[in-house]
This record gives sequence, structure tokens and C-alpha cells, in this order.
Amino acid sequence: MAPITPFNASEISEKARRDLLLLLEGIRGKKNLVLEKALAGPLNLLVKFSTLQEYGVDKPFFLENDNVDSSQRNVVFLVRGEKAKTVLTVADQIKRIRRDSQIEHEFSIFWVPRRTVVSDQLLEEAGVLGEASVSEWPLFFVPLADDVLSLELDTAVEDLYLRKDPTSVYLAAKALMQQQQKYGLFPRIIGKGDQAKRLADLLIRMRTEITAGESSSSIGPSFLGLTPSSTIDSLVIIDREVDFPTVLLTQLTYEGLLDEVFNIAANQTEVDSSIVGGAAPQPGQTGSASTSMKRKVIIDPKDTLYSTLGDANFAIVGGLLNKAARHLQSSTERNQLAAKTTSELRDFVARLPGYQAEQASLKLHTSLAEEIIKHTRTDIFTRSLEVQQNIMCGADPTTQHDSITELIARDVPLPSILRLLALECTTNAGMRPKDLETFKRAIIQAYGPQHLLTLSGLEKMGLLAPRGGLSIGGTGPAAKPGSVTNYTPLRKSLRIWDDEVNETDPNDISYVFSGYAPLSVRLVQSIIQKQTLANLIKPSSHPQASAQANPLAQGLRIFDDASKYVRGATFDEVQTGEEKAVKAKSMLNGSQHDGAKTVVVFYLGGVTRAEIAALRFVGSKLKEVGGEGRGSRIVICSTGIVKGGDLVGAALEKRRFG
Amino acid sequence: MSKPTANWEKVGDKFYRKVPLYTDVFDQDLELDKYHVVGAPYGGAVAIYRDEEKLHAYRSGQAAKASIDVYSCAGKLIRRITWDKGTIKGLGWSEDEKLLVVTEDGTVRCYYDLQGDFVPFTLGHGADEHGVQSCKFYSTGFVALLGNNNLISVARYDEPRPKLLATPPSEPVVSWAIIPPAYSLSRSVEVILAIGSTLYVVDATDAEDRDFSAGPFRHISVSPRGEFLAFYTDDGKVWVVSGDWSEKLSEYQSRVKTVPIDMQWCGSNAVALAWEDEVHLIGPRSVATKFYYDASQVHLLPDVDGLRLLTNDVCEYLQKVPDETVDVFRLGSDSPAAKLLEASSLLDQKSPKADDLIQLIRPSLAEAVDTCVKAAGHEFNIHWQKALLKAASYGKSVLDLYSSDDFVDMCETLRVLNAVRFYEIGLPLSYDQFRRLTPEKLVARLTNRNEYLLALRISSYLHLPADKIQVHWAQQKVRVSTDDEEAICSLIVQKLRGQPGVSFEEIARAAYDEGRVRLATELLNYEPRAGKQVPLLLGMKEDIIALDKALESGDTDLVYHVLLHLRKKLPLASFFRVLNTRPVATALVESSAWDTDRELLKDLYYQDDRRLDGSNLLLAEALAQTDVASATDKLRLASKYLADARDFAFAKTQLDDAARLLKHQETYEKELGPGNAFVGLSANETVFALIKAGHNKRAVKLQNEFRISEKAYAWLKLRALVAARHWNELEEMGKSKKSAIGWEPYFNEVLAAGNTRVASVFIPKCTGARPEERVEMWVKCGLLVKAGEEAVKAKDRSLLEEVRAKATGSAAVEVERMMGMMTRK
Repeated sequence: MAPITPFNASEISEKARRDLLLLLEGIRGKKNLVLEKALAGPLNLLVKFSTLQEYGVDKPFFLENDNVDSSQRNVVFLVRGEKAKTVLTVADQIKRIRRDSQIEHEFSIFWVPRRTVVSDQLLEEAGVLGEASVSEWPLFFVPLADDVLSLELDTAVEDLYLRKDPTSVYLAAKALMQQQQKYGLFPRIIGKGDQAKRLADLLIRMRTEITAGESSSSIGPSFLGLTPSSTIDSLVIIDREVDFPTVLLTQLTYEGLLDEVFNIAANQTEVDSSIVGGAAPQPGQTGSASTSMKRKVIIDPKDTLYSTLGDANFAIVGGLLNKAARHLQSSTERNQLAAKTTSELRDFVARLPGYQAEQASLKLHTSLAEEIIKHTRTDIFTRSLEVQQNIMCGADPTTQHDSITELIARDVPLPSILRLLALECTTNAGMRPKDLETFKRAIIQAYGPQHLLTLSGLEKMGLLAPRGGLSIGGTGPAAKPGSVTNYTPLRKSLRIWDDEVNETDPNDISYVFSGYAPLSVRLVQSIIQKQTLANLIKPSSHPQASAQANPLAQGLRIFDDASKYVRGATFDEVQTGEEKAVKAKSMLNGSQHDGAKTVVVFYLGGVTRAEIAALRFVGSKLKEVGGEGRGSRIVICSTGIVKGGDLVGAALEKRRFG
Repeated sequence: MSKPTANWEKVGDKFYRKVPLYTDVFDQDLELDKYHVVGAPYGGAVAIYRDEEKLHAYRSGQAAKASIDVYSCAGKLIRRITWDKGTIKGLGWSEDEKLLVVTEDGTVRCYYDLQGDFVPFTLGHGADEHGVQSCKFYSTGFVALLGNNNLISVARYDEPRPKLLATPPSEPVVSWAIIPPAYSLSRSVEVILAIGSTLYVVDATDAEDRDFSAGPFRHISVSPRGEFLAFYTDDGKVWVVSGDWSEKLSEYQSRVKTVPIDMQWCGSNAVALAWEDEVHLIGPRSVATKFYYDASQVHLLPDVDGLRLLTNDVCEYLQKVPDETVDVFRLGSDSPAAKLLEASSLLDQKSPKADDLIQLIRPSLAEAVDTCVKAAGHEFNIHWQKALLKAASYGKSVLDLYSSDDFVDMCETLRVLNAVRFYEIGLPLSYDQFRRLTPEKLVARLTNRNEYLLALRISSYLHLPADKIQVHWAQQKVRVSTDDEEAICSLIVQKLRGQPGVSFEEIARAAYDEGRVRLATELLNYEPRAGKQVPLLLGMKEDIIALDKALESGDTDLVYHVLLHLRKKLPLASFFRVLNTRPVATALVESSAWDTDRELLKDLYYQDDRRLDGSNLLLAEALAQTDVASATDKLRLASKYLADARDFAFAKTQLDDAARLLKHQETYEKELGPGNAFVGLSANETVFALIKAGHNKRAVKLQNEFRISEKAYAWLKLRALVAARHWNELEEMGKSKKSAIGWEPYFNEVLAAGNTRVASVFIPKCTGARPEERVEMWVKCGLLVKAGEEAVKAKDRSLLEEVRAKATGSAAVEVERMMGMMTRK
């Protein structure tokens, strides 16, 4: 029997793909597809455009552009139905087409990921519900890599922390529930943060609801499905709110910097063609070169070269590229010379396409890396990095104020400034009220009065706050315990700052930020990699004995100690099944599943690429045979991938006067 | 026991049999010839209603009210639906036994259970104007023909969406039929219309003339799986054409002057023609057999694998004898299965010949056992079922290795089939029908007939979940029970609590629909799924509880739903009061109102005295304005909103500043004429733009007014001058003594702009820089000699050597010289 892998990326994408194509097949003839911009990325990741064409899609349109024409009888909308605004946009466009077009149209709406009651209600009020046939495309997790599943909710940060709208919590619960129904309950749900607790509660609640509402169509599997899984170890939920600083910092892994500089969305980024060369002729795409100078570049996690580069600290990427270039050169050249016999020649020729792909990838990443180097060499980049590093290692933040003031005067893009200020506030439980006001005035002067809204948004999110009151509005009394994270004790008890960081041959996750070890990952470590962490925090005096007996590694001591100083609720739930069912299951499976379990880490509110790199590093250590992880595998799930720009961007007011 | 072949008829080389299912079906007084009769597929219920066009004998005892009566095949009345809603133009069944009634004005009623509850919908597309002529039904939908020959198709009943098909010519339609979407080539429903002497095929997009001239065709019938089409011509011929219209397979001359009342397929192999008391069964190659009845009219009820024939006296099932059955029972059959059966009966008689026979068929014994098992399944007679199974069992015992699974399955299935065929239940399922219907649906049918005990027994016998049955039972209980509500509730809870899949919400809904509100509320408390409770609670006008339940479920969609409902229903003040204590609800209202309903948001902020939010809202509105005047007005309002609140003094000042800035900017634009856009810039950017355009005085004035710090101003000036390429002015600045930001920025900015000459001016002023940095600066400007001098000044030989390495030409010579001088020293 093949081992069951829970949270299997290819299975999830295959299902999503099939679901969509089935829906498209249900509509006869050619159709125009109208999709939300935010869905274009995931869609592209799952289904090639040529496949869509095979299924009758004639032309794609963006919902936001409101330009779908009447060239086809069938018009298909592919949109998220959670927000009233999008629903109303769909309704308006249906009305517009109906009004303007000569022919009678067939409208279909595929709600992603579910059909909502509100959408029905709104469409009915708009008088178009009867016109459109409505179905749903249950797209929850979108696999970005084998171990990264994202819900791709682009507004999750804004919803959760600015608007306090818990929709994404609910969708996350649904998505996790689906996996639980397939692979069994998470034996343990543990985590940190208020919204994370809410998610855990929802999961537990949904479990009772599902047992109650178990549809009679499925007997057997789901009954067994709701017993603790034998392949999953636990679910760790981290609320983004617990650890804002990690997002605010500039990521220093290659992938992280790619994201910071070029902005990656759904494994795809747009790069000026002057950097990476003209667009390679892509099948199915004609004449696009003339219209835009941007070229779409796929960041493929399966690319062999990229898999070695992506998670490395940027400082060593140059060396890695060099090595790859030399390797490629030597293997092609030597082979050419040595290939004497025909069979060898045939082998070589067979491998040629691989070499070509490697060469192309090498060329691409070299030019990208060069562009990033250009970026990192700028004065502004080094200055802001300096500020970040100083704040994180615990220097008095007021010493950094001059640098920030200067950066403002130099008209550095606002998000960078806001990241620095927010970083100071979140790591030091706020800023002196007088300083804060000075900065606020400076920002409004430099970037415009519209940013009064930005600043007030940031305060709502808890990213900017006067010291002594991170509570709403900044007028409340002194902060309640558990509402701010206190970094001073954490630096010691979790070893958040690592002075002896080694970027070339990392021995700790702190390499991803060249010194700072992301708090969120440390928390995860304190749950699943206790021994290593304990030894790191308090190296044992006897190196031989260190393997077992570090008293810190017992139970959840580190986690419990640390969570006292971290904001938000802490929770630890053990899920057990019905006794009868558990017995039945253990009889079916035997107890041979001992090692190689999956740990699911869910980041509510988004995960950064640097954290992914750090978690992969932890995972690679767990996989080592004989280590404490017994070969566990880590799967990272999230509502989406974020970076500092997105976090402050959620509050950023983009309009200006006039 | 009569021979199993007694009711067999040979049609060509195939056998057909007429299995008597039930006798004494209807009351003799019921004049079945004056009724329309339609039967649900898979041996389902039969619905009859009086044909209004036919004369009716008046009987004093009978109620004069029209009704649709639903009977079981055995003639047991399941439900009488009184009808006074107009002329029925279409009556039919779906495969899950929903009864559809289509009236002339295009109203469709879908009776989803057999209890008389229905969901109505209308066909639209001019159905009310032109009137529905007739309807044809298939497993999940139907097509209606209107008076103007328009065709309307409904593909599903859970969300009916009537669609207009392509329009055929408007001449009168002689007869018509449909090919269900599952079997048509285009995978959507197709309609065959006989118009004039030809045939049209109509689908969603076009109406195609098939160019026939042998018409008019009086009847059209499509075989159950759409592989064949049968037409009855005006001159008494039956044509059979393949489903893809590619060839004509047979032609049969009935030699009857009158047109038959009905023509239907019997399975996929034969066509049955029905006159009043005569049925012709036409097999392939135009062979036929005839049956005569002693009744006023025979009704044909087609099913997937045969045909039910219904008269007042009998209900019979006409089907092609299954191959296995032929194998076993055919006269003179020498197949192994037949021998096995014989051996088994010999064994009963204790004859030693039994073993001889077994040995004879030994090589094909396994196959014989299989055949016997299958033949038992096809048998309706319990005696022969037993005999066949016994034979199979005997054969099995002789075999060394034989998997008994099929045998056991068949025994179980037959128990179930015999139970539901019993006349009190009246579901005469054939084995094939049962396989296709699936056990779950069979249980559902029993539940709809309120046969709970049998349904539960079958469920537990076949290991099926029983939740649906229990819920249905409970619903029926709350509808009809006369016990007091408390007793009903405790009875239901006691029986059903904790059962997986039992939805208390559905039971509560039934109670509510019945008007038992208190019982409904009580029952609803036992529903663990908060989300499920919400719609019913809203229906029960328990809005606040609904909101709390929605919040509890965590499903924001439901919360929105309730909020939208409340928003419409409640006056604003009470709506806000509801929100007040529920922060999540408030957040959701804010979030959606920000996108769609700003006025509501304003009221909310005002009500809650949330000054800052209110003023922010006004600021956002100000941003949306296109002209300065109205933007300024909005800013003033925003500022006023914050008046006399000390906590927001900062924001207020900023708002006032913003208004002032806008005013200045407007003035600048007026004064400086076109090409100078200022509105929308920040204070700094305005200063920048002013300096860049050379309006230094204005810039200084603005600096003072908005208290821009010296440092910031110095940066602005530097960047603006560089951007405008005012090199002279920059050089002038270099002559001043002091700079608020030091001199390195001047060097860096100017150098970055590419002017090495001016940049170099600032190098000597960078007194704070270390010597090697200064050397670097000179090198960057390309002044290597100067760099050398700097190194000499610092008395740093290695530095000088570095410079030497970079220098070429005359500079190199000069640096060499310096090196020489340095050594000399």
C-alpha cells in the first residue's frame, strides 16, 4: 500500500483543475471568461490558457476593467463571492451587456470558492439571478510548491487586521476541514494569537457540525475520517498579528528579495525585458511583445537551479550561480569531447534539452540577481537595512530616528518608511508619543495629507502606536498584558537575535535575516523541534550529554515560557475521536505509522518567503535520520504570501487630491 | 406451479414475456379510458387525471371536484391532489419520483414528495400568452410545446431555469418526442417535431429539417437510451430509424385503419402499439405479435427495460426475456444452467441421476451457477427464484473454488425486491431497474410513501444510513401528530439525538411550516450547526437570535445575510443598537459599507461618537472630489467633526493644514500659469516643484508657513536643483559655510546626476569623511591626481598605490611622481 501523503500538492491542484474544467464543459460552445484580477494568478498556475481554449474559452477579460464584449453568446464570470462589492460589479456588468448587446446572452457565474447566500440575495435584488446559472468552483488551497499551500486571499491582511472582517478565518477553517475530512483529524491543534484561536475554535466547532450533518451519501470513509489522523502530527497555527516585525523586515533570501524587488504573485513576476532579455516566443501568445515592455517570468519551485537558490541568503547567491555556471560548462564541454561512441552520443543528445533549460534558467537568474545587487547597493537600501538590524538586535530605537527622518526628507517610497516606523512600534511596544507625532507630521508633509488615512489605518492595525497604549485609538490606559509582544525577554529566551550567524553554511534559521531569527518560526520550533532549540538557547556544558537531557526541552516549556511575552491568546487542543472509531481505524491501519508524519503550519494572515525558507530549513533538519523529528515533513499553509509592503500597503491611501 | 415459460411469446427469434404483477388494480367503475395515465420510471407511482375533452358519465356519489390521483402500481391510492388551478397540459414524473404538473398558462408545480407539497415556477418566454400545448418529460427535466410552436426546456428542478430552444416553423405539429440530453449527440436535449410531412430536429441553437416526405407521422417514440427512433406513418406503417438518423432499420405494416392511441418502446428492442383493447409488439425485422385485452383501454407505461401495461383489472410487465432466463428455461434447452436446474430438482427427488448430470456439465459448472444466480434475479415468481437459487447453491457446493459474493448479494437483493413488490407497497421493480435506481433511492421512495418500518429494515439490512428516514419520520410526526408539543419534542429528541446526519433544522422547519412555532424553536435548539439555524430563525422572525447564531457559526456570509435583512427591516437607530454589542457584526457592516454605502457609515460613526473615523470618512470623500473648492469644503467639515475634542487636536491641525495647502496650490497654479500643476502634491513636493521651477521666494514662504524643518528643506532644495540641473546655483551653495545636512549628500546627489565637475566642488567640504573615503570620492569624479594628493596628505602609501593602479595616461605619471616624492620623504 502506498503511503498516504496528507496535504498532497499535486492532488490538490489536480482536483481544482478538474473541477474547473468540468464546470467549463458544462457550458456548450465558445465563451468569454470574465475573471477577477486576483484570480488570474491562481488560475494560471492551475490551468494553462491553451487548455482553457480547448474547453471553449474564447477571450479572457478582467472584471475590474468592465470591458467584456458581446462577441460570444456565453459569458462566464469567475469571481469571489464574499464581498458585496464584487457581487454588485458582476450584477452591473450583466445588466450592461444585456442592455447593450443585440443578441441574447447566456450568463454563468462560478463563485470562488463557494456560492454565498449574500450573492444570491444581491443578484436577486439586482434582478439578474434568474438570468444567470450559478455554480461554484471550490478552490481553496492553491499549491505554490510541494510544501506550500496558499489560499491566495489577496485581501486577507486588510480584512483581518484593518477591517476586522473574519471571512478569511472562516475560509481557512473550511479549507483545513476539507483536508481533515480526507486525512483524519489533526491530533493536536496548537498555536498563538487571537484570530488563530478563533480558527482553532472554528475547526473544533465544525467538527461537531460535520458529524451532525454528515450526508448520508458518504458512508464509511468520513466516519473514519473524523478520527485522529495517523499521518498528520499536528497543526500549528500562527496568527500574523503575533509577529508583525518579521513581515516588516526586508527579507534577505534570494526568493524574498525577488519578491521585494519584483513582486511575485502566484509564482509569477513581471520583469522589465531590458533586464532579462526579450520575451521568448511563448506558444499561444502572439504580438504581446509590442504592447508591453514587461516580460512575465515564472518562478518555478521545481526548477533544479532555483531550488538551490531560492531559500539561500542572498549573500551567497552569487557564489552559487558561479558554481552552477561552471558545472554546466564543464559537463557540456567534457561530454562533447568524450562522447565518442554512438550510445554515449545518444545519451548526451538526450540530455541536451535539460542542459538548455538549465542554461536558460541560469541566464535568467544571473540577470535577476544582478538587478537585485544593483538595488541592494543603493544608499537607501543599506540605510534602511541598517536601521532594521539595529532595532532587531535591541539597540535603543531613538538612535535610529535621525536616519528615518533623513530617509523621509529624501522622498524614499512611503511604504519603506512605514515599515521602519511600524517595526519600531511593534518591537518596542509603541513609540514615545512625542516622536510619533513628529513622524506623523513629517510623513504628512512629505507625502501628502491623504496619508492621515494611512496613518489612522496603521494605528487600527496596531502597527503604529504611542507607547503605553497599543489599544484602539491610542487613548486607552496602559497596555493590558498579552496585547503587546515584549521582545527584550524573548531575545534571550528564544534567542531571537543571533550574533554568530553563518550565511554560507547555515546552522540556524537566523540566516534568513542575517541575524534575526523570525519569532513565528521560533515559536514553531519550540513546538516541533524542542531539543535543537533548547540546545541553542542554553548550550549544555557537556557536549555529549546535550543530545537528550536538556531540561528546557521537556514538555512545552519553551513554548509556554515564550508565549507569556507574546501577544494574543495561546491554545493547545488535543482532538480525539470516538473510541469505537479510533479502535476500528487502528485495527485497519495497524500501528506501523510511527515516523514520517506531517506537521502542518498554518499562518493566518499570510506568510513571508523568508519564513518559508526558515521553515524548510527546520524541516530539512527534522528529516535527518535519527534526529528528533523522526523524518517529519512540514507543510506550510497560509491565507497568502505577504511581505512588508503588502502589510503597510493594506492601510495605504492611494488617492490624492485633485 | 405453472411453467415459467407459460407467459412467453416469441417475437421473431426473441422471447418476450408478460409478467402479471398485480390484479384488481382499479375500481371497475373508474373509466380508465377517460383518464390520462402516467407512470414514474422504475416501477414508480402512477398519476391519473380526467381527460377534460372526453365525456364523462355522471355519478351521483362521486365528488365532482377534479383531482390528480396518485396510485401505486397495485392500485393503492397514495395521494389525492385536488385540482382547481386550470387546464393541465402536461403531467409527468422525474426519475426521483417528483410529479410535475404543467398548466396551460405555463405554471409548473413540482410535487417533490408524494405528500402533496409542491414548489411552483413559471415557464415564461410567452407561455402565458400562447399557452402550453403539451409536454414531454425525461429523467431530470422536460420540454414544453407552446401554441406558437416555441419550445421551452427545463433541465433541472432544484433550480429550474426555463430556456427557449430554437424556433421551428409555425405549421401545426402532428406529433413530437424528445431525446434526453444524456443520450443525444449534442449532450443537450433535442426535440423531434413532425410538421407537415417532414420531421424537424430542434436543439438550443437551430431547427433542422430532416427532409422526410412519408409523413405526416402520427406518433414518434424514442427508445429509452436514444439508440432508435420509431415513427408511425399516416398509412399505418411503423418505421424504425437509428438514433443518429443514419439508416432505416425496419418497416412494419400494421394493416390497421385507425391510428393507435399510443406507441412506446418496450426496452430497446421492440415497439409497442396500443389501440383500445389491442397491443402489437413489433420486434426487429418487422416481426410482430399481438395481445388482446378485455378492457376499454390499455395504458402503456414505458420504463427503462420494459413496459408496464395497465388496465382496470391487471398491471402487467412486458419485457424481453433476459438471456440468462432464456438459457435456463427455454424449452429443450441443453445449456449447462438448464441441466443444473434439472439436476437440482432430481436431487430433491433423491434421484442418483443428479450426480450424473452434474458430472456431465462439470467443465462449465461455474458458468452454469452464475447463470442460475442471474436468472433468479430476473425472476418475479418466488417459487422459481427459490428453485434457481437452490440449483446455484447445489452447483456451488460441487465446485472447489467459487466466490459466493454474487450469490449472497443476489439473495439479499431478492429479499428486498420481493418485499417492495408486495402488493401493499406496490413497487414492481425488475432486477435491472433496482440496479439502476440504487438502493438509496429505493429507500427514499419508501420513505416518501411513509413506509418507515420497511425503509428502516431495508436500510439496516443493506447497511445504508437511516438519517433521512428518521428525519422524514420526525417531520411527518410534527405535521400530523395530535400529541401535545412537549411530548412530540421529547419523543423526537429521545429517538434521534446524536444520530449522525439527522438535521433538526429540517424537522423544525416542518414544524414551523405547520404553524407550530414553539415546537420549532424547541427543536431548533438541538441543531448543532449554527449555520443551519439561521435561515429558519429569520423566517420565524427571530432576527436577533439568528444574528447571534450566525456570528457563532463564524460564517461571515451568514452574518452578512442576516445583517442585510436587519438593515432593511429595522429603523436605523435600532439597527445600530443591535450592532453596538457585537463587534464582529459592526466590523462587517463597516467593511461592506465602506465599499457600498458611505451614508450608513456616517450615521454609524455619528451615533457611536467615533469622531476620528467620521472625520476620516469625510477626508476620504474630500479625496474623491475633483475640484479644489468642494475638496476644501469637505476638509472643513472633517475638521469641524473633530472640533473641541482635545484627543484629536493633531488630526484637526493636519486637516486645516491640508485645506490651506490646497488653497496655496490653487493660487500658484493661477499665478504661474499652465504647465505648473500643484494640486495634489504634498507640502514637500510643492516646495520641490517651486524650487525646481525657480520660484525660490515662494518656496521659502511655504517652508515657513508649514514649518518644514531646515534639514528637510535642505534636502528638498538639493534634490530640486539637481533635478532641474541648476549647476550654477549648486556651486553657489557650495560656497556657503554651513549646511544643515552636511556636504556628502550634495556630493552624492550631484554625482548620481552625472556631473563630476560640480560634485568635486563639494569634496573638500566633506570634512567629516575619512581620507580613504575622500580618495574614493575623487576617484569617482575621475580626478585621480586629486585623489593622489589626498592620499599624500593622509600620508597613506597603500592608498596611493591603489590610486596608481587605477590611473592611466598623464594622471598615472603624476601619481608616480607623488609616489616618488613620498618615498623621498
